[in-house]
Amino acid sequence: MALLEVSDLKTHFFTREGVVRAVDGISFSVERGRTLGIVGESGCGKSVTALSIMGLIPKPPAKIVGGSVLFEGRELTTLPEKELEDLRGREIAMIFQDPMTSLNPTLKIGTQITETIRRHYDVSTQDARKKAIELLEEVRIPRAVDRLDDYPHRFSGGMRQRVMIAIALSCDPKLLIADEPTTALDVTVQASVLDLLDDLRREHDMAMIIITHDMGVVAEAADDILVMYAGQVVEQAPVLELFDHPEHPYTEALLGALPQIEGEGIRQGRLTAIPGRPPDLINPPPACRFAPRCPYASANDACAEHMPELREIRSGHFVRSAHPASERAGARRPTGVGA
Amino acid sequence: MTKFIVRRIFWTIPVILLVILLTFGLMRQIKGNPFRTSERAIPEQIQRNLERKFGLNEPWYIQYWRYVKGVATFDLGPSLVLRNRDVNDIVRAHFPRSLELGGLAFLFALALGIPLGAVSALKANTPLDYGAMFFSNVGYAIPSFLVATLLIYFVVLEWQLPFPTSGWNDWESKVLPVIALGLGPAAAFARLVRGTMLETLQQDYIRTAKAKGLRWRRVIALHVLRNSLIPVVTAAGPTLGFLITGSFVIEQIFAIPGIGRYYVTAVTARDYSVVMGLTVLLSVIVIVANMIVDILYGILDPRTRDARA
Amino acid sequence: MVADPAQTKGKHVGATGVDIDSGDGVAAAAGGPVRQSNLWKDAWRRYIRNRAAVTAGVIFLLVLLFVVVWPIVSPYDPNAAPNYELKNEGPSLRHPFGTDNFGRDLMTRTAVGGRVSIGIGFAATLAILLVGVAYGAVSGFVGGKLDNAMMRLLDTLYGLPYLPFAIIVLAIFGTVNIWTMVIALSIASWFTSARIVRGQVITLKENDYVRAARAVGARWFRVLGRHLLPNTLGVLIIAIFLELPGVILGEAFLSFIGLGISPPNASWGQMAQEGRAVYRVAPHIIAVPSIAIATLILCANFIADGLRDALDPRTRET
Repeated sequence: MALLEVSDLKTHFFTREGVVRAVDGISFSVERGRTLGIVGESGCGKSVTALSIMGLIPKPPAKIVGGSVLFEGRELTTLPEKELEDLRGREIAMIFQDPMTSLNPTLKIGTQITETIRRHYDVSTQDARKKAIELLEEVRIPRAVDRLDDYPHRFSGGMRQRVMIAIALSCDPKLLIADEPTTALDVTVQASVLDLLDDLRREHDMAMIIITHDMGVVAEAADDILVMYAGQVVEQAPVLELFDHPEHPYTEALLGALPQIEGEGIRQGRLTAIPGRPPDLINPPPACRFAPRCPYASANDACAEHMPELREIRSGHFVRSAHPASERAGARRPTGVGA
Repeated sequence: MTKFIVRRIFWTIPVILLVILLTFGLMRQIKGNPFRTSERAIPEQIQRNLERKFGLNEPWYIQYWRYVKGVATFDLGPSLVLRNRDVNDIVRAHFPRSLELGGLAFLFALALGIPLGAVSALKANTPLDYGAMFFSNVGYAIPSFLVATLLIYFVVLEWQLPFPTSGWNDWESKVLPVIALGLGPAAAFARLVRGTMLETLQQDYIRTAKAKGLRWRRVIALHVLRNSLIPVVTAAGPTLGFLITGSFVIEQIFAIPGIGRYYVTAVTARDYSVVMGLTVLLSVIVIVANMIVDILYGILDPRTRDARA
Repeated sequence: MVADPAQTKGKHVGATGVDIDSGDGVAAAAGGPVRQSNLWKDAWRRYIRNRAAVTAGVIFLLVLLFVVVWPIVSPYDPNAAPNYELKNEGPSLRHPFGTDNFGRDLMTRTAVGGRVSIGIGFAATLAILLVGVAYGAVSGFVGGKLDNAMMRLLDTLYGLPYLPFAIIVLAIFGTVNIWTMVIALSIASWFTSARIVRGQVITLKENDYVRAARAVGARWFRVLGRHLLPNTLGVLIIAIFLELPGVILGEAFLSFIGLGISPPNASWGQMAQEGRAVYRVAPHIIAVPSIAIATLILCANFIADGLRDALDPRTRET
């Protein structure tokens, strides 16, 4: 049984202007000790997915209207709030994008770490502090003992994110969800944070979901990749397979937009930009949501009327498109796995 | 931390001196003379003697210096109009009542306003919220003399509850004036707390706190309230000052023998030393209240401690 | 680059992250072009949608209309000679607000008194803003030691209690009329607006487009006039409606304790004072001007709130 199984999750926002179908039927699973990367442009629903798993979506406008989220066999969408509180931080932990604003500026970071520990375990303040120091050392913050009593504004962005990671790891969760963990950081700091996450994951045998819009990040860190667009999964595959043989036109465009410095078959010339905008999620068209921007779709195609199904085009590789790369005219069939 | 507090306290001294100077300067501009305005015309000679006795004919900076020395030793000088009384006597007789009135009204405002605002924020956009905010908006806008009059009208005349409407002795006589004075600030606090709490609840670190699995009650108590109350503390200082100094109207209506009533009389009678003394006293209170607020702010928000270098 | 809904804390936002409540949001969400909107037009539209603010604005204008027009068309003389036969009558058809204890028509007196109270209110508010803007702008813009000194001075002035200060200023003038009231009240309360303006100027000064203007060599007054002040305009408009209640209340208090506008001239505070003596037999005499004051203050507060929401959408709650 997978650690986390999401089936046909639908999260909608009920606003004055209409119902925004932010997440519209997403399914995936995460195994113990594996990392899933969820990529997509801003607004595709990846963060909402993460928040829905944790039950952290803002309840007045948003609501999980369908599907299920099974964590170790337990259904999370119907769990009462009290039990969700027990789960959060202890079994599933989450770190957020902006470390500047994600820490309480008026509390010492030591307090912010120990309160998590003491919430989930019955330990003394002393022991919690000791554990907090260990954690800070684990995330490679120098002079941990002194830093424990400092306030967040005394730390740099990268260090703050490490503190967030320390907090997240404090109760040895089975699953860590990282929502754009490196987006707000400098490029050089990004690399070190990703390395840290990888090391920690292996040491603690943790599963991880990394959410990002940066294909470079996910290539580094993930075992499997989920590509989202307009609230849906459009492609899903193990990382190498996805990068070597992308199927969905959107994925191809995303990869084409990556600058390449070196490597075989390096593309010369301009980076591809994807023209157009994502569709309005209040009244999404019944057709394929990417069709208006797809270079291969035409108005007469079936995909202009009906939503393509998510199908397994090769073993372990799923795509939702009427024009996957390996089925286009003149396409070179990828050799090797499956076929 | 202590350095911060000491520095803050130290800076109030020149401020107080400056305030005394300003008040002094203003008072000197008031035309009229306590002796000449009295009804019985006093012979010139006696007038000059009196002036010399009270030091009114000396150059201003000498008068100022003498006054400052007096203030430092808590001697505010004699009353110019009431021949046998010192300003200190007057203060001692009347000020504690105003202080008590202002203080009680302040506590009442906090006790009513903060919980009201907090509950409104937590149950935002429900009928409870709308009701509480309606009450707050109205309470904030109504001038205190109307509140006082309405209170007296309904509580005493209509409902015939045994709350006295004049004097300040037993606890029953304090109820109506305290409510009348404190209702406005209570409403102001409620609005403020609601606003800041709503804003705090939107912050990222609250989402982090929830993601850590902290119990909601703790999140509110520690994370939300603590950060929300900072602007309230900032507003509390001037409010306290306002309450103590602005009790004039309430004292009039409820016939409370506090310094408010005395102040008006003294100004009309051109009793310089009383007016000076009372003004300086009130100023010192306001300045001290502001200083306490600043210090509290530094305690609550650690970021300001470093910024105030 | 549109924002992720989960990150835009609780606004009414679609998956595309643009504020759905603004017309542009819907257009953008639908994939259409985004119209470049005027800040003021947007603000006006947002204001209109706030029912409380619109109601308050209407009532405010009606009150203004009343105090301006009614004394002209009223058949009664607000300062008529006492007619004790008519005194202390409650509201009736002939006297919709009743009569006061001198037999004068209360409605007319309320209108006349309103002219005085509101007139003082606006004049003092204007003075407060002028002084405050000048002081705050100079202090914030010049910065450095001058700013420090000016702020210390302001801290000191904050230490002078409001009512006593105004009372002293009035005593200096000797007489109490509309102008002295205006000056006294504004002298005692310009500090807050100076602080606000200074804060705004400092924030804007660090803004990149100001730096750009200065980098091109624009003169300081051009920078001040063209870039900084127009952006503080919104804050200033809001400040008008925030200061107005304080000043009106100040006048009311002063008149109530006998140190303000004196009879036979009317102001709302002064009328309330007259009514105090007879509130047991004729409660309407104190009630009417007090309610008038309360109404004006209430409206000003709602208008200020509405303006604040309209001009800065980020402060809206979920």
